[in-house]
Amino acid sequence: MELSLTEAQVAFRDEVVAFLSDSLPEDIKDTQKQGGHLSKEQMQRWHKILGDKGWSTPLWPEEHGGTGWSPVEYAIFDEECYRIGAPRVLPFSVSMLGPVLINFGNDEQRERFLPGIRSGEDWWAQGFSEPGSGSDLASLKTTAVRDGDHYIINGQKTWTTLGQHGDWIFCLVRTDADAAKPQTGISFILVDMNTPGVEVRPIITLDGSHEVNEVWFTDVKVPAENLVGQENMGWTYAKFLLQNERIGIAGVGQSKEQLVGLKRLAAAEKKNGQPLIEDPGFKAKLSEVEIELRALDLTNKRMLVETERGMDPGPVSSMLKIRGSEVAQRLYELKMEASGLYALPFQPEAGDAGWNDELVGTLAQAKSAPHYLNTRKISIYGGSNEIQRGIISKMMLGF
Amino acid sequence: MNFDYSEEQKMLVQSLERTLAKTYDFETYRAQIADKTSHDPALWASLAELGIMAMPLPESAGGFDGDHTDIALISAELGRRLVPEPYVSNVVVAAYILGELGGDAFADDLAAIGMGEKRFAAGFYEPGERHNPLALNTKAEKSGDGWTLNGHKAVVLGADTAGAFIVSADAGGTSLFVVPADTDGVTVRQYQLLDGRGAADIVLNNVSLPADALLGEAGGAEEVILEAVDRGAAALVADSVGAIEEVIELTKDYLRTRTQFGRPIGSFQVLAHRMVDLLVEYEQAKSMSMEASVEATNENGDARKKAVSAAKAKVGAVSRKFGQESIQLHGGIGMTDEYALGSYVKRLLVNETLFGDTDYHLERYGRL
Repeated sequence: MELSLTEAQVAFRDEVVAFLSDSLPEDIKDTQKQGGHLSKEQMQRWHKILGDKGWSTPLWPEEHGGTGWSPVEYAIFDEECYRIGAPRVLPFSVSMLGPVLINFGNDEQRERFLPGIRSGEDWWAQGFSEPGSGSDLASLKTTAVRDGDHYIINGQKTWTTLGQHGDWIFCLVRTDADAAKPQTGISFILVDMNTPGVEVRPIITLDGSHEVNEVWFTDVKVPAENLVGQENMGWTYAKFLLQNERIGIAGVGQSKEQLVGLKRLAAAEKKNGQPLIEDPGFKAKLSEVEIELRALDLTNKRMLVETERGMDPGPVSSMLKIRGSEVAQRLYELKMEASGLYALPFQPEAGDAGWNDELVGTLAQAKSAPHYLNTRKISIYGGSNEIQRGIISKMMLGF
Repeated sequence: MNFDYSEEQKMLVQSLERTLAKTYDFETYRAQIADKTSHDPALWASLAELGIMAMPLPESAGGFDGDHTDIALISAELGRRLVPEPYVSNVVVAAYILGELGGDAFADDLAAIGMGEKRFAAGFYEPGERHNPLALNTKAEKSGDGWTLNGHKAVVLGADTAGAFIVSADAGGTSLFVVPADTDGVTVRQYQLLDGRGAADIVLNNVSLPADALLGEAGGAEEVILEAVDRGAAALVADSVGAIEEVIELTKDYLRTRTQFGRPIGSFQVLAHRMVDLLVEYEQAKSMSMEASVEATNENGDARKKAVSAAKAKVGAVSRKFGQESIQLHGGIGMTDEYALGSYVKRLLVNETLFGDTDYHLERYGRL
């Protein structure tokens, strides 16, 4: 048993740090470190820099542009990105669609779409959830009806993250309304968002952000060649996609960075004339969450190593998601508590590129409540924590 | 990074598992507890034969120079089987102190521990001082060539069956002394703890000791005490993880097989999700125990303390949750003495409280 990094892993970390420090544009780093919203241009600029280095799709098979990193190396990369202030590329194209195309797409689709994913030039959105189909995703109602060499899509998707920037959207659609089980009548299809009949409407969340959207489809004509894999096999691909997400799902890098921010905030705040961080009550809460994160970090690495050796990934992804979201949410909660009264002035755009209103309180205080509110989502998206518990209990108890 | 145990370690665990499977089931444990004995000489001898007593000792004392990951593996098995023998108090804590400070004078005693022939118990804690191992009211005064000790040591693990004690006392600074149990002026109030392991309160009333009863230098024992406590804490953390693994098996089985309203109770989501939350906690506890076992012998004192305190605090909190939730998930049967669960709940409580409870370690972690 050896729990510290090997010499090779330390050398790898140094290489990552050197590259990130040299290549990360200052403005992107500032927005990220300040907790602001990155613009589309900022995200794509950074994605391209990573793509040029060959690091935008590290977990893909090497023949498609993967780096061949081990899970521990990937975890190191993840942590260093957050520490230095480099944004992580959006998961929809790189972590979700890419592996599906590699495993279930055809050569034409891979040649057409993988380069744009690697470079970040194509902005992909995810079209899974619907107003009536959240946790019960397989009940989805958006239809795709074959008409010659096209499908005609009608219906509505929702919670489409950053769909307002989208060039393309990958969707689960119902292609067989009479299938024996809801799961067996679903297909996986790629839709150009510039096609007539696609309409994106914003959803503003309680933190004041415009992150998510509704996407409406009215008689949208999609070439049949955009179907991924076989018709009515979409549910299988979607399950693969969700299980494939385990690496990084625990959010350790992000939470480590939040812990640093929390300590900085609590050192600057005063209680009874002393720094808040010295207050025994606050200190106990801080130590508790720090220990939780320490346990999560080690468990994450241990499970990723074990999964590589053939341990069933199902319960692993679910466990890491449950605990990772709980730890992250606790950190944001404590940052808001630590901010005191100055958590309250509502300044949702503070820290965004180009924002230059007069700040009330410090930036960390201003962001604390919007971040707390925004991150309530992480125990809901990607399969709510209750759905994850259902997956684990099915495996552990058989029901 | 690698999270694997070596082939030798796996073989050691297998032989320990086999021995305990043959000689120590739950009924044996119950009979032993009913008989009010925390120590069975035959079992002790068979454990010594496996080499687990000699494992952490230096080669010079006939030991195998094992590290704390060995100790963790052994402790987990003892916890899993509820074995009440004074392994941690004697082999992990007392033997470490004798190895550090005993020198030639105690070399034979150290070797005797390794062969299972002698047992020591180390007492640091005192009534009214809770979990601080350095809070000393016990006094050692110079008298002639030797020392006179007065004081009271609280809940000394393994002291009910030890032939000699190692006690801390203020001799113009924190110091450690070896006190044979039969010395005049020593009163040993023996008892069993909640889970059947043995302990005692030791009262020292004008106890005269020779000069060579002092271990190391007068006033020079603080760091050794803190490391001894950390080693003991890391071993108890591993013991708890072993016990928790058995609680998981018992509870999963019960949820699968107990039926009410015509279906297995584990099919009720309200129970299944609570079980899942326990499983998630268990994985965190296991990771922390691994880290504590690797760091317990780290020469960097702060790194050691931080890892041990993180593990003791986390596993303590997880143990409490397991104790409460596993009883609730079982319902009435979980309340009975006859069913094994309750004994595990009590084992976890004892481990949680000895060598610094959750609050003590949480607070120490925050200070480091």
